[in-house]
Amino acid sequence: MSGDEINPAAVAQAVEDVQGDDRWMSQHTRFVQECKDAEPEVLFIGDSMVQLMQQYEIWRELFSPLHALNFGIGGDTTCNVLWRLQNGELDNIRPMVTVVWVGTNNHEHSAEQVAGGILAIAQLLTSRLPKTKVVVLGLLARGDGPNPLREKNAAVNGFLRSWLPRLGQAQFLDVGAGFVHSDGTISTRDMFDFLHLTAAGYRAIAKPLSDLLLQILDETPEEKRASLV
Amino acid sequence: MSSEDSNPAATPTPGVDTQGDGRWMSLHNHFVSNSKDKEPDVLFVGDSLVQLLYQFEVWRDLFSPLHALNFGVGGDATQHVLWRLSNGELGHISPKVVVLWVGTNNHGHTAEQICGGIMAIVQLIKDKLPKAYTLVLGVLPRGKMPNSLRERNAQVNKLVQEAVSSLPHASLLNVDPGFVHSDGSISHQDLYDYLHLTPQGYQAVCQPLHAHLKGLLEKQAEN
Repeated sequence: MSGDEINPAAVAQAVEDVQGDDRWMSQHTRFVQECKDAEPEVLFIGDSMVQLMQQYEIWRELFSPLHALNFGIGGDTTCNVLWRLQNGELDNIRPMVTVVWVGTNNHEHSAEQVAGGILAIAQLLTSRLPKTKVVVLGLLARGDGPNPLREKNAAVNGFLRSWLPRLGQAQFLDVGAGFVHSDGTISTRDMFDFLHLTAAGYRAIAKPLSDLLLQILDETPEEKRASLV
Repeated sequence: MSSEDSNPAATPTPGVDTQGDGRWMSLHNHFVSNSKDKEPDVLFVGDSLVQLLYQFEVWRDLFSPLHALNFGVGGDATQHVLWRLSNGELGHISPKVVVLWVGTNNHGHTAEQICGGIMAIVQLIKDKLPKAYTLVLGVLPRGKMPNSLRERNAQVNKLVQEAVSSLPHASLLNVDPGFVHSDGSISHQDLYDYLHLTPQGYQAVCQPLHAHLKGLLEKQAEN
Protein backbone atom coordinates (compact mmCIF):
# COMPACT_ATOMS: atom_id res chain seq x y z
CA MET A 1 0.00 0.00 0.00
CA SER A 2 2.09 2.97 -1.23
CA GLY A 3 0.92 6.27 0.23
CA ASP A 4 2.37 8.12 -2.74
CA GLU A 5 -0.84 8.29 -4.75
CA ILE A 6 -2.10 11.50 -3.17
CA ASN A 7 -1.16 14.63 -5.07
CA PRO A 8 -0.28 17.31 -2.49
CA ALA A 9 -1.28 20.01 -4.99
CA ALA A 10 -4.80 18.56 -5.01
CA VAL A 11 -5.23 18.63 -1.24
CA ALA A 12 -7.48 21.44 -0.04
CA GLN A 13 -5.71 23.71 2.41
CA ALA A 14 -6.53 27.05 3.99
CA VAL A 15 -3.84 29.71 4.35
CA GLU A 16 -2.53 30.13 7.88
CA ASP A 17 -2.40 33.65 9.30
CA VAL A 18 1.30 34.02 9.96
CA GLN A 19 1.47 37.80 9.58
CA GLY A 20 -1.13 38.57 12.24
CA ASP A 21 -3.98 40.41 10.48
CA ASP A 22 -5.99 37.46 9.16
CA ARG A 23 -6.37 38.96 5.70
CA TRP A 24 -6.77 35.69 3.81
CA MET A 25 -9.73 34.58 5.88
CA SER A 26 -11.26 38.07 5.69
CA GLN A 27 -11.12 37.94 1.90
CA HIS A 28 -12.59 34.42 1.82
CA THR A 29 -15.41 35.47 4.15
CA ARG A 30 -16.17 38.44 1.92
CA PHE A 31 -16.34 36.20 -1.15
CA VAL A 32 -18.73 33.81 0.60
CA GLN A 33 -20.94 36.81 1.41
CA GLU A 34 -20.75 37.99 -2.20
CA CYS A 35 -22.13 34.60 -3.24
CA LYS A 36 -25.25 35.41 -1.28
CA ASP A 37 -25.74 38.84 -2.81
CA ALA A 38 -24.67 38.36 -6.41
CA GLU A 39 -25.85 36.39 -9.42
CA PRO A 40 -22.73 36.18 -11.54
CA GLU A 41 -22.69 34.80 -15.06
CA VAL A 42 -18.92 34.48 -14.88
CA LEU A 43 -16.76 33.55 -11.91
CA PHE A 44 -13.02 34.21 -11.88
CA ILE A 45 -11.03 32.28 -9.28
CA GLY A 46 -7.32 32.05 -8.63
CA ASP A 47 -4.31 33.95 -7.33
CA SER A 48 -3.03 37.52 -7.67
CA MET A 49 -3.14 37.29 -11.47
CA VAL A 50 -6.93 37.15 -11.07
CA GLN A 51 -7.14 39.53 -8.11
CA LEU A 52 -5.08 42.35 -9.60
CA MET A 53 -7.08 42.36 -12.85
CA GLN A 54 -10.05 43.81 -10.99
CA GLN A 55 -8.02 46.89 -10.04
CA TYR A 56 -7.45 47.90 -13.64
CA GLU A 57 -9.87 49.68 -16.01
CA ILE A 58 -9.95 46.61 -18.26
CA TRP A 59 -12.09 44.79 -15.70
CA ARG A 60 -14.78 47.42 -15.76
CA GLU A 61 -14.60 47.59 -19.57
CA LEU A 62 -14.69 43.92 -20.47
CA PHE A 63 -15.71 41.79 -17.52
CA SER A 64 -18.12 43.78 -15.35
CA PRO A 65 -20.58 43.89 -18.27
CA LEU A 66 -20.51 40.07 -18.24
CA HIS A 67 -21.58 40.13 -14.57
CA ALA A 68 -18.34 38.66 -13.42
CA LEU A 69 -17.25 38.01 -9.83
CA ASN A 70 -13.59 38.06 -8.90
CA PHE A 71 -12.45 35.61 -6.23
CA GLY A 72 -8.72 35.99 -6.67
CA ILE A 73 -6.40 36.05 -3.64
CA GLY A 74 -2.72 36.93 -3.96
CA GLY A 75 -0.35 34.12 -3.09
CA ASP A 76 -2.89 31.35 -3.47
CA THR A 77 -1.88 27.88 -4.62
CA THR A 78 -4.15 25.20 -6.10
CA CYS A 79 -4.61 23.86 -2.53
CA ASN A 80 -5.92 27.19 -1.29
CA VAL A 81 -8.34 27.61 -4.21
CA LEU A 82 -9.64 24.07 -3.65
CA TRP A 83 -10.27 24.84 0.02
CA ARG A 84 -12.12 28.07 -0.80
CA LEU A 85 -14.31 26.37 -3.38
CA GLN A 86 -15.16 23.60 -0.91
CA ASN A 87 -15.91 26.05 1.88
CA GLY A 88 -18.56 28.38 0.57
CA GLU A 89 -17.29 30.21 -2.49
CA LEU A 90 -19.59 28.19 -4.77
CA ASP A 91 -22.65 28.36 -2.58
CA ASN A 92 -25.77 30.02 -3.97
CA ILE A 93 -24.25 30.92 -7.34
CA ARG A 94 -24.63 29.35 -10.76
CA PRO A 95 -22.20 31.02 -13.14
CA MET A 96 -22.30 29.95 -16.78
CA VAL A 97 -18.53 30.09 -17.00
CA THR A 98 -15.74 29.78 -14.45
CA VAL A 99 -12.30 31.08 -15.28
CA VAL A 100 -9.50 29.40 -13.35
CA TRP A 101 -6.03 30.96 -13.15
CA VAL A 102 -3.75 29.48 -10.52
CA GLY A 103 -0.59 27.41 -10.21
CA THR A 104 2.33 29.84 -10.46
CA ASN A 105 2.61 29.95 -6.64
CA ASN A 106 2.81 26.17 -6.15
CA HIS A 107 6.51 26.28 -5.34
CA GLU A 108 6.59 23.01 -3.39
CA HIS A 109 5.10 20.96 -6.19
CA SER A 110 6.28 19.50 -9.48
CA ALA A 111 4.76 20.58 -12.79
CA GLU A 112 2.77 17.37 -12.98
CA GLN A 113 1.44 17.85 -9.46
CA VAL A 114 0.46 21.45 -10.18
CA ALA A 115 -1.40 20.39 -13.33
CA GLY A 116 -3.10 17.69 -11.26
CA GLY A 117 -4.16 20.32 -8.74
CA ILE A 118 -5.64 22.51 -11.46
CA LEU A 119 -7.42 19.48 -12.92
CA ALA A 120 -8.86 18.73 -9.48
CA ILE A 121 -10.23 22.28 -9.37
CA ALA A 122 -11.82 21.85 -12.81
CA GLN A 123 -13.33 18.53 -11.72
CA LEU A 124 -14.71 20.07 -8.53
CA LEU A 125 -16.30 22.88 -10.53
CA THR A 126 -17.95 20.61 -13.07
CA SER A 127 -19.30 18.34 -10.33
CA ARG A 128 -20.68 21.23 -8.21
CA LEU A 129 -21.94 23.22 -11.21
CA PRO A 130 -22.84 20.66 -13.87
CA LYS A 131 -23.89 23.30 -16.40
CA THR A 132 -20.81 25.49 -16.04
CA LYS A 133 -18.07 25.69 -18.62
CA VAL A 134 -14.59 25.88 -17.17
CA VAL A 135 -11.87 27.93 -18.83
CA VAL A 136 -8.40 27.27 -17.48
CA LEU A 137 -5.84 29.94 -18.31
CA GLY A 138 -2.30 28.82 -19.02
CA LEU A 139 0.42 29.89 -16.61
CA LEU A 140 2.46 32.80 -17.87
CA ALA A 141 6.21 32.92 -18.21
CA ARG A 142 7.93 34.79 -15.39
CA GLY A 143 11.31 36.23 -14.48
CA ASP A 144 13.54 38.63 -16.40
CA GLY A 145 15.28 35.95 -18.46
CA PRO A 146 15.04 32.17 -18.96
CA ASN A 147 14.80 30.31 -15.64
CA PRO A 148 13.49 27.01 -14.20
CA LEU A 149 10.09 28.48 -13.31
CA ARG A 150 9.41 29.31 -16.94
CA GLU A 151 10.13 25.73 -17.88
CA LYS A 152 7.96 24.49 -15.04
CA ASN A 153 5.01 26.70 -15.97
CA ALA A 154 5.32 25.64 -19.62
CA ALA A 155 5.31 22.00 -18.51
CA VAL A 156 2.16 22.59 -16.45
CA ASN A 157 0.52 24.06 -19.53
CA GLY A 158 1.60 21.03 -21.54
CA PHE A 159 -0.11 18.64 -19.13
CA LEU A 160 -3.25 20.78 -19.06
CA ARG A 161 -3.47 20.87 -22.84
CA SER A 162 -3.76 17.11 -22.97
CA TRP A 163 -5.74 16.46 -19.78
CA LEU A 164 -8.43 19.14 -19.86
CA PRO A 165 -10.21 18.14 -23.08
CA ARG A 166 -11.05 14.81 -21.40
CA LEU A 167 -13.25 16.76 -18.99
CA GLY A 168 -15.69 17.80 -21.67
CA GLN A 169 -16.88 20.94 -19.90
CA ALA A 170 -13.37 22.31 -19.55
CA GLN A 171 -10.98 23.94 -21.96
CA PHE A 172 -7.50 25.40 -21.88
CA LEU A 173 -6.71 28.92 -23.06
CA ASP A 174 -3.11 30.02 -23.56
CA VAL A 175 -2.84 33.78 -23.12
CA GLY A 176 0.92 33.90 -22.80
CA ALA A 177 1.92 34.53 -26.40
CA GLY A 178 4.11 37.55 -26.97
CA PHE A 179 5.38 38.17 -23.47
CA VAL A 180 8.77 36.56 -23.97
CA HIS A 181 10.80 38.49 -26.52
CA SER A 182 13.19 36.94 -29.02
CA ASP A 183 16.11 37.59 -26.67
CA GLY A 184 14.37 35.65 -23.92
CA THR A 185 13.52 38.70 -21.83
CA ILE A 186 10.21 39.89 -20.44
CA SER A 187 9.58 43.61 -20.35
CA THR A 188 8.52 45.50 -17.22
CA ARG A 189 6.07 47.23 -19.56
CA ASP A 190 4.11 43.96 -19.56
CA MET A 191 5.00 42.55 -16.12
CA PHE A 192 6.08 45.26 -13.69
CA ASP A 193 8.00 42.82 -11.48
CA PHE A 194 8.50 40.09 -14.08
CA LEU A 195 5.47 38.27 -12.65
CA HIS A 196 2.47 40.58 -12.23
CA LEU A 197 0.84 42.21 -15.24
CA THR A 198 0.68 45.92 -15.94
CA ALA A 199 -2.40 47.55 -17.46
CA ALA A 200 -0.86 46.91 -20.89
CA GLY A 201 -0.16 43.29 -20.00
CA TYR A 202 -3.75 42.72 -18.90
CA ARG A 203 -5.07 44.41 -22.01
CA ALA A 204 -3.16 41.87 -24.11
CA ILE A 205 -4.62 38.85 -22.32
CA ALA A 206 -8.09 40.23 -21.75
CA LYS A 207 -8.99 40.42 -25.42
CA PRO A 208 -8.71 36.68 -26.28
CA LEU A 209 -10.25 35.81 -22.92
CA SER A 210 -13.22 38.11 -23.30
CA ASP A 211 -13.74 36.91 -26.88
CA LEU A 212 -13.91 33.32 -25.63
CA LEU A 213 -16.25 34.21 -22.78
CA LEU A 214 -18.60 36.04 -25.12
CA GLN A 215 -18.57 33.05 -27.42
CA ILE A 216 -19.40 30.66 -24.59
CA LEU A 217 -22.07 32.92 -23.13
CA ASP A 218 -23.57 33.32 -26.57
CA GLU A 219 -23.84 29.57 -26.98
CA THR A 220 -25.74 29.20 -23.73
CA PRO A 221 -29.53 29.43 -24.21
CA GLU A 222 -30.26 31.10 -20.84
CA GLU A 223 -27.80 33.86 -21.63
CA LYS A 224 -29.56 34.74 -24.85
CA ARG A 225 -32.45 36.04 -22.76
CA ALA A 226 -30.29 38.39 -20.78
CA SER A 227 -27.91 39.28 -23.58
CA LEU A 228 -27.28 42.88 -24.51
CA VAL A 229 -29.32 43.68 -27.57
CA MET B 1 21.99 52.68 22.12
CA SER B 2 22.60 49.31 20.44
CA SER B 3 24.55 49.26 17.17
CA GLU B 4 22.83 48.83 13.81
CA ASP B 5 24.28 45.35 13.57
CA SER B 6 21.96 44.10 16.26
CA ASN B 7 18.89 45.52 14.52
CA PRO B 8 17.98 43.24 11.62
CA ALA B 9 15.64 45.94 10.27
CA ALA B 10 18.63 48.28 9.95
CA THR B 11 21.11 45.78 8.50
CA PRO B 12 21.32 46.01 4.70
CA THR B 13 20.06 42.68 3.38
CA PRO B 14 19.42 41.71 -0.24
CA GLY B 15 16.23 39.85 -1.13
CA VAL B 16 16.62 36.10 -1.33
CA ASP B 17 15.42 34.22 -4.42
CA THR B 18 13.34 31.51 -2.80
CA GLN B 19 11.11 30.96 -5.80
CA GLY B 20 13.66 30.32 -8.52
CA ASP B 21 13.42 33.18 -11.03
CA GLY B 22 15.69 35.80 -9.49
CA ARG B 23 13.12 38.55 -9.77
CA TRP B 24 14.27 40.62 -6.80
CA MET B 25 17.77 41.04 -8.16
CA SER B 26 16.42 41.58 -11.68
CA LEU B 27 14.31 44.46 -10.42
CA HIS B 28 17.22 45.95 -8.49
CA ASN B 29 19.46 45.77 -11.58
CA HIS B 30 16.66 47.26 -13.65
CA PHE B 31 16.43 50.22 -11.26
CA VAL B 32 20.18 50.73 -11.23
CA SER B 33 20.42 50.86 -15.01
CA ASN B 34 17.20 52.90 -15.17
CA SER B 35 18.83 55.54 -13.01
CA LYS B 36 21.68 56.03 -15.45
CA ASP B 37 19.80 58.12 -17.97
CA LYS B 38 17.12 59.73 -15.88
CA GLU B 39 17.18 62.96 -13.94
CA PRO B 40 14.33 62.69 -11.48
CA ASP B 41 13.38 65.47 -9.13
CA VAL B 42 11.53 62.98 -6.95
CA LEU B 43 12.40 59.39 -6.12
CA PHE B 44 9.76 57.09 -4.64
CA VAL B 45 11.30 54.09 -2.88
CA GLY B 46 9.75 51.34 -0.78
CA ASP B 47 7.56 48.26 -0.98
CA SER B 48 4.51 47.16 -3.00
CA LEU B 49 2.53 50.22 -1.98
CA VAL B 50 5.11 52.26 -3.90
CA GLN B 51 5.43 49.73 -6.72
CA LEU B 52 1.72 49.40 -7.38
CA LEU B 53 1.26 53.18 -7.40
CA TYR B 54 3.19 53.27 -10.66
CA GLN B 55 0.66 50.97 -12.34
CA PHE B 56 -2.34 53.24 -11.97
CA GLU B 57 -3.45 56.45 -13.70
CA VAL B 58 -2.77 58.46 -10.55
CA TRP B 59 0.97 58.16 -11.17
CA ARG B 60 0.71 59.64 -14.65
CA ASP B 61 -1.66 62.36 -13.43
CA LEU B 62 0.15 63.51 -10.31
CA PHE B 63 3.73 62.29 -10.18
CA SER B 64 5.02 61.99 -13.75
CA PRO B 65 4.67 65.77 -14.09
CA LEU B 66 6.96 66.11 -11.06
CA HIS B 67 9.62 64.01 -12.85
CA ALA B 68 9.38 61.13 -10.44
CA LEU B 69 11.06 57.72 -10.54
CA ASN B 70 9.59 54.65 -8.88
CA PHE B 71 11.85 52.13 -7.13
CA GLY B 72 9.22 50.13 -5.27
CA VAL B 73 9.62 46.37 -4.79
CA GLY B 74 6.77 44.26 -3.48
CA GLY B 75 7.54 42.46 -0.25
CA ASP B 76 10.47 44.69 0.69
CA ALA B 77 11.12 45.43 4.33
CA THR B 78 13.41 48.23 5.59
CA GLN B 79 16.58 46.12 5.40
CA HIS B 80 15.94 45.36 1.72
CA VAL B 81 15.43 49.01 0.80
CA LEU B 82 18.58 49.82 2.77
CA TRP B 83 20.54 47.30 0.71
CA ARG B 84 19.17 48.54 -2.62
CA LEU B 85 19.99 52.17 -1.87
CA SER B 86 23.45 51.15 -0.68
CA ASN B 87 24.13 49.15 -3.83
CA GLY B 88 23.59 51.41 -6.78
CA GLU B 89 20.04 52.70 -6.84
CA LEU B 90 21.20 56.16 -5.78
CA GLY B 91 24.29 55.96 -7.94
CA HIS B 92 23.49 58.27 -10.83
CA ILE B 93 20.65 60.43 -9.68
CA SER B 94 20.21 63.45 -7.45
CA PRO B 95 16.53 63.87 -6.71
CA LYS B 96 15.47 66.86 -4.65
CA VAL B 97 13.01 64.78 -2.65
CA VAL B 98 13.00 61.11 -1.74
CA VAL B 99 9.62 59.69 -0.77
CA LEU B 100 10.15 56.68 1.48
CA TRP B 101 7.29 54.27 2.16
CA VAL B 102 8.30 51.03 3.86
CA GLY B 103 7.86 49.14 7.11
CA THR B 104 4.67 47.12 6.81
CA ASN B 105 6.55 44.00 5.66
CA ASN B 106 8.97 43.93 8.60
CA HIS B 107 7.43 40.81 10.08
CA GLY B 108 8.99 39.62 13.28
CA HIS B 109 10.50 43.02 14.04
CA THR B 110 9.38 45.31 16.85
CA ALA B 111 8.12 48.83 16.20
CA GLU B 112 11.41 50.13 17.64
CA GLN B 113 13.43 48.00 15.24
CA ILE B 114 11.32 49.07 12.27
CA CYS B 115 11.76 52.72 13.25
CA GLY B 116 15.49 52.06 13.47
CA GLY B 117 15.41 50.62 9.97
CA ILE B 118 13.55 53.61 8.58
CA MET B 119 15.93 56.04 10.29
CA ALA B 120 18.91 54.11 8.91
CA ILE B 121 17.51 54.68 5.42
CA VAL B 122 16.98 58.38 6.18
CA GLN B 123 20.61 58.62 7.30
CA LEU B 124 21.87 56.76 4.24
CA ILE B 125 19.98 59.11 1.92
CA LYS B 126 21.48 62.10 3.72
CA ASP B 127 24.97 60.61 3.34
CA LYS B 128 24.57 59.91 -0.37
CA LEU B 129 22.39 62.88 -1.31
CA PRO B 130 23.30 65.70 1.07
CA LYS B 131 20.91 68.17 -0.58
CA ALA B 132 17.88 65.87 -0.75
CA TYR B 133 14.85 66.03 1.51
CA THR B 134 13.38 62.76 2.70
CA LEU B 135 9.63 62.53 3.11
CA VAL B 136 8.74 59.43 5.10
CA LEU B 137 5.14 58.31 4.59
CA GLY B 138 3.32 56.86 7.57
CA VAL B 139 2.71 53.14 7.44
CA LEU B 140 -0.97 52.46 6.75
CA PRO B 141 -3.31 50.39 8.91
CA ARG B 142 -4.03 46.90 7.58
CA GLY B 143 -6.34 43.95 8.09
CA LYS B 144 -10.13 44.08 7.99
CA MET B 145 -10.55 44.52 11.75
CA PRO B 146 -8.28 45.76 14.58
CA ASN B 147 -5.19 43.60 15.00
CA SER B 148 -1.66 43.71 16.38
CA LEU B 149 -0.14 44.80 13.06
CA ARG B 150 -2.24 47.97 13.11
CA GLU B 151 -0.92 48.72 16.59
CA ARG B 152 2.63 47.99 15.47
CA ASN B 153 2.33 50.25 12.41
CA ALA B 154 0.82 53.08 14.46
CA GLN B 155 3.66 52.76 16.95
CA VAL B 156 6.23 52.85 14.13
CA ASN B 157 4.71 56.11 12.88
CA LYS B 158 4.79 57.61 16.37
CA LEU B 159 8.45 56.67 16.88
CA VAL B 160 9.52 57.91 13.44
CA GLN B 161 7.67 61.18 13.97
CA GLU B 162 9.66 61.72 17.16
CA ALA B 163 12.94 60.72 15.53
CA VAL B 164 12.60 63.09 12.54
CA SER B 165 11.24 66.02 14.51
CA SER B 166 14.75 67.33 15.14
CA LEU B 167 15.96 66.82 11.56
CA PRO B 168 15.91 69.64 9.01
CA HIS B 169 16.18 67.24 6.07
CA ALA B 170 13.35 64.82 6.84
CA SER B 171 9.77 64.64 8.03
CA LEU B 172 6.92 62.17 8.41
CA LEU B 173 3.69 62.64 6.50
CA ASN B 174 0.60 60.78 7.64
CA VAL B 175 -1.19 59.78 4.41
CA ASP B 176 -4.00 57.79 6.01
CA PRO B 177 -7.14 59.71 5.02
CA GLY B 178 -9.19 57.77 7.57
CA PHE B 179 -9.32 54.26 6.14
CA VAL B 180 -10.45 52.81 9.46
CA HIS B 181 -14.19 53.26 9.92
CA SER B 182 -15.94 53.91 13.24
CA ASP B 183 -16.56 50.18 13.69
CA GLY B 184 -12.85 49.49 13.31
CA SER B 185 -13.20 47.98 9.86
CA ILE B 186 -11.29 48.75 6.69
CA SER B 187 -13.15 48.56 3.40
CA HIS B 188 -12.00 46.48 0.43
CA GLN B 189 -12.99 49.48 -1.71
CA ASP B 190 -9.93 51.24 -0.29
CA LEU B 191 -7.61 48.30 0.41
CA TYR B 192 -8.69 45.45 -1.86
CA ASP B 193 -7.02 42.79 0.25
CA TYR B 194 -6.91 44.88 3.44
CA LEU B 195 -3.27 45.77 2.70
CA HIS B 196 -2.90 47.01 -0.88
CA LEU B 197 -4.58 50.15 -2.17
CA THR B 198 -7.24 50.26 -4.86
CA PRO B 199 -7.07 53.12 -7.39
CA GLN B 200 -9.70 54.84 -5.21
CA GLY B 201 -7.53 54.32 -2.15
CA TYR B 202 -4.53 55.75 -3.97
CA GLN B 203 -6.52 58.84 -4.96
CA ALA B 204 -7.32 59.51 -1.30
CA VAL B 205 -3.67 59.05 -0.30
CA CYS B 206 -2.07 60.83 -3.22
CA GLN B 207 -3.98 64.11 -3.42
CA PRO B 208 -2.56 65.42 -0.11
CA LEU B 209 0.80 63.76 -0.84
CA HIS B 210 1.01 65.53 -4.19
CA ALA B 211 0.16 68.89 -2.64
CA HIS B 212 2.78 68.38 0.06
CA LEU B 213 5.39 67.31 -2.49
CA LYS B 214 4.81 70.37 -4.64
CA GLY B 215 5.31 72.55 -1.59
CA LEU B 216 8.56 70.75 -0.75
CA LEU B 217 9.88 71.05 -4.29
CA GLU B 218 9.13 74.76 -4.33
CA LYS B 219 11.00 75.18 -1.05
CA GLN B 220 13.94 73.15 -2.36
CA ALA B 221 14.06 75.36 -5.43
CA GLU B 222 14.42 78.43 -3.20
CA ASN B 223 17.48 76.95 -1.45
